[in-house]
Amino acid sequence: MAIEINKEVSTGTVEQRMVYESGNEMAAYAAHQINYHVMGYFPISPSTEVAQFLDLMKANGQHDIKLIPSDGEHGSAGICYGASAAGGRVFNATSSNGYLYMLEQMPVQSGTRFPMVMNLVCRSVSGPLDIHGDHSDLYFALNTGWPILMCRDPQAVYDMNIIALKLAEDPEVRLPVLVASDGYFTSHQKRRVQTFAHRADVHAFVGEHSPEGFKHVLDRNNPITVGPYMNEPDYINNCYQQSMAMYKASEVFDRIRQEYAALTGRDYPILDQYRMDDAEVAVFLMNSASEIIKDVVDQLRARGIKAGSVAPNIIRPFPAKEIAEALRGVKAVTVGDRADSYGGHGGNMTNEIKAALFTHGAKDTLVISRIYGLGGKDFYAEDGHHLFELAIEAANAGKVDVPFDYWGHTPGDPEKAPKRVLEPLRYEDLKTGLITVDRDEATGKLKVKVPPVRQLTKKPKRLAPGHGACPGCGIFSGLELFFKGIEGDIVALYQTGCAMVVTTGFPYSSHKATYIHNLFQNGAATLSGVVEMFWERKRRGELDQYGLKDDFTFVMITGDGGMDIGMGPAIGSALRNHKMIILEYDNEGYMNTGAQLSYSTPLGHRTSTSNVGKHQGGKLFHHKDTAQIMAATNIPYVFTGSESLPQDLLRKAAKAQYYAQNVGLVYGKILISCPLNWLSEEKIGQTLIDEAVNTCFFPMYEVEEGVTTITYNPEDKGKRIPLGDWLKNMGKTKHMTRPEYAEALKSFEDEVERRWQRLKAKHENMYL
Amino acid sequence: MAILPKQNDLGFFEIRLESIGGLGANLAGKMLAEAGVVGSGFNGVSFSSYGSEKKGSPVKAHIRFCDLETNIRDTTPVERPHIVGVFHENLSKTVNVISGIYADSVVLVNSSKTTEQLKEKIKLSAGTLAVVDATGIALEENNRVNMAMLGGLFRLCDFLDFEHMKGIIRKSLEKKYPQAVDPALRTFQRGYDEVQFQTFALPEGIAMPQPTRWDIPALGYQTQPLGGMIVNPGNSVLKDLSISRQGMMPHFDEEKCIHCAACDTACPDFCFVWDEQPDKKGRPQMFLQGIDYQYCKGCLKCVVACPTEALVSERETDGYGDDHRVAHRFNWAAAN
Repeated sequence: MAIEINKEVSTGTVEQRMVYESGNEMAAYAAHQINYHVMGYFPISPSTEVAQFLDLMKANGQHDIKLIPSDGEHGSAGICYGASAAGGRVFNATSSNGYLYMLEQMPVQSGTRFPMVMNLVCRSVSGPLDIHGDHSDLYFALNTGWPILMCRDPQAVYDMNIIALKLAEDPEVRLPVLVASDGYFTSHQKRRVQTFAHRADVHAFVGEHSPEGFKHVLDRNNPITVGPYMNEPDYINNCYQQSMAMYKASEVFDRIRQEYAALTGRDYPILDQYRMDDAEVAVFLMNSASEIIKDVVDQLRARGIKAGSVAPNIIRPFPAKEIAEALRGVKAVTVGDRADSYGGHGGNMTNEIKAALFTHGAKDTLVISRIYGLGGKDFYAEDGHHLFELAIEAANAGKVDVPFDYWGHTPGDPEKAPKRVLEPLRYEDLKTGLITVDRDEATGKLKVKVPPVRQLTKKPKRLAPGHGACPGCGIFSGLELFFKGIEGDIVALYQTGCAMVVTTGFPYSSHKATYIHNLFQNGAATLSGVVEMFWERKRRGELDQYGLKDDFTFVMITGDGGMDIGMGPAIGSALRNHKMIILEYDNEGYMNTGAQLSYSTPLGHRTSTSNVGKHQGGKLFHHKDTAQIMAATNIPYVFTGSESLPQDLLRKAAKAQYYAQNVGLVYGKILISCPLNWLSEEKIGQTLIDEAVNTCFFPMYEVEEGVTTITYNPEDKGKRIPLGDWLKNMGKTKHMTRPEYAEALKSFEDEVERRWQRLKAKHENMYL
Repeated sequence: MAILPKQNDLGFFEIRLESIGGLGANLAGKMLAEAGVVGSGFNGVSFSSYGSEKKGSPVKAHIRFCDLETNIRDTTPVERPHIVGVFHENLSKTVNVISGIYADSVVLVNSSKTTEQLKEKIKLSAGTLAVVDATGIALEENNRVNMAMLGGLFRLCDFLDFEHMKGIIRKSLEKKYPQAVDPALRTFQRGYDEVQFQTFALPEGIAMPQPTRWDIPALGYQTQPLGGMIVNPGNSVLKDLSISRQGMMPHFDEEKCIHCAACDTACPDFCFVWDEQPDKKGRPQMFLQGIDYQYCKGCLKCVVACPTEALVSERETDGYGDDHRVAHRFNWAAAN
């Protein structure tokens, strides 16, 4: 990945090499030079690229880091915790709600004192879902007991990643360390970056191995008990040890950064002060914005205004004394917080700075607090000028008029307030009567009648056109075909994923009926709450006023990624047997975040975290059989479906509705094409799905009240084709048809055949 | 060491690429930036706009070049470009592609139109219009639009090393796609050679439009429903997605249609418009009326699904979509 520009003579003593790369690339580059033992990770924008770059380098044989794709961030934190307890070097990267999902594990890691390094590529937190950069996730990290290093640009990302490991492993610290950079502003912008030219020099600095003498769980001669049950009066003493170590981290950081500066010529003092010597007004900002403000300082200085800026390179431990000293003599400082601490009369940095000034007797400096740049709203120089104007006004007036406010929020034009565009769907149009499901009293089986799709074109679609999916996206043809088989009203919940993102870009929605989003580890639980509230409010007569003509059909839509991270709540909802449908559209990867592998990605398939190279041939383990997992919960109805067999899918949708309204939970899985990430032609999406069905990779069947029936058998129709005939048509799998991947193809074929034979046995025997 | 032809107050020469996802502007931007930084030794920064929108949606790439001594601190999008590269001429329907240009900026457009026609279309007050038929070149050379655009952009950036770029193209392709090297180089060269220029002076008494901040939304904290809710079901019908098409589109021949609805099942964008009419025996039946091209992204799944030749794939010509569109008859809200 890294492009070597030239070898430049640096002011340091070590040989360096210039590259032109982004923040994420530099985090990965540092990690590969360190050659960590283990990275447990889960994709989330904007940090995902870190694992992707490492996987690509791994495929090319550039490092030995064991990259473990977890089932969610909580799982990734668990992997990292276990790996660090086992004594090796551990690395991770995450963002936003991914960080919040693992938050519970952070104090476990720090409180039991196992060092590791994690990059937090900072992003706003849901909800509403915003993928762009602010410091909302970072502020949750302040109380986790991890030292936090700050990175203003890609160069700092590289440098801090190397400093972080040395800090984490220092005998006087022994804490996990967070390296925070700004999502997109830093993670995705390419810059010239100087790096160690040789890995050996990196190792000479951080040590080839983690320091000896610390306990780990793999020493059989010295068994240890990690994480005991510890109440008062002992717990407070563990916390005190941790607190001492945290404050020590400040001294240790200061020592390490000097060693680093001597080597590289790049220095990261605890506080970055720009033209502060005689400053009368100042602005405090963190990371990327703290660079932009320097241009503003220069412009103000050119106008004779004594302006300066302060930005921390480390915020845990908080450099209280250094900040108070820097601001002593400054008449007024505007503190910009890129995240709110709702109700706190200032963001976290504002309040900590105020406390620092108070504690260290710099009480004459006026402090103005502004929340800015939330959700990735750009911070332009003109915004910086505004922050300085506030400080200048306060300095001149000797007081602060508005101590706390937002900057960059807009009231909106009442003329442009939303007006309804479409009338709601008419129940009569949705209840066509063209589809009927009845239980045969004699056999107890459901009798289903569905018309040809032509007749169903009369039924309005549940989704409106105008969504932003890629051309040829298989999601929406698949979903609408399923919805055509559902009569009457639905309430839909979409878990995070492409279908959610492209249909709800604010202020537009492609959902004609009511829709809810929740993050994809929790959709099934959320919808089960909606379902139970429906039945309870109905029982209490509270819904009579809405003129419901029939019960809703509750449908959760999820991608295969959502069935990984959300597997627990999905199984929980199935075991509780709520009256709802879970429909999974499986496109064999986390396509929304850039085509990372999911557990449903088959063996050998290329994704951005299962690259194909000399040292790795795509995904390393077999695809998950989600339908069988869900069938094992003994819910009334499980099915698979395909756009290429419309009548089959319509019948299953009709049955699904019957069971979800009358009996309990239904799970269905449709395979859908993703031309962008399957690297296939857009127009052949349906053909590819048809081929997947005919290879028996994705067999059509249902498990109805425990009885398995194959609803379409390609062997009976003489249509079965070898897997290679399907794989050769997709860029992501074309390599598997080459001789050097014969073993992987054979393994994939064997697995598909084994599952198919087992399915046929189930089809033959109602008790299997 | 090459010299930047112009620099703004902070010392930057700035380039903005306007495109739709899938045309390769991101990659072209990366290659252009690397050519400046790695090839010609400038300092620089480059990035693309990232959002939830997918392939086919408007995207931008931003590049700043400066001297090695200049500090790069700004991370904001390029608002005052010296060069704009427009990868799809119809972008100007929905995006102000020339926002913030100077009177002497250069705007390169992928188009087969004349500079005069384009000046009208993109509402250019002044500046140099450069035109190259990148789509035509790419189709002829069986290569990609971004290579032809990159060639055109190199013509505009004479401070970059043309031969060095050819080396990068060769190097990046020869291992994985050796058969693509020559077409890519030819496409790049033709993009460079075939640019047409015309400079329009600023008429007297007219001022260049001032750049406006793009990040002021229509809704705000006084008008936005609580909690980010959208209380306007299905309002995405207001969107025009026709710019997502990258050259090809389906044509509908009613004579050959058997109204089987295979197209309707295949279409991801709900473009097929149906009406209930009496069949030959007088019974009500559904009949396909045509395609609502406002939403058609040109994936051509319907053409593959069609069992007859009622749907065929054709190169999109100017105005065809508007002229042959059969609009959906939505149940518009009474307020409208």
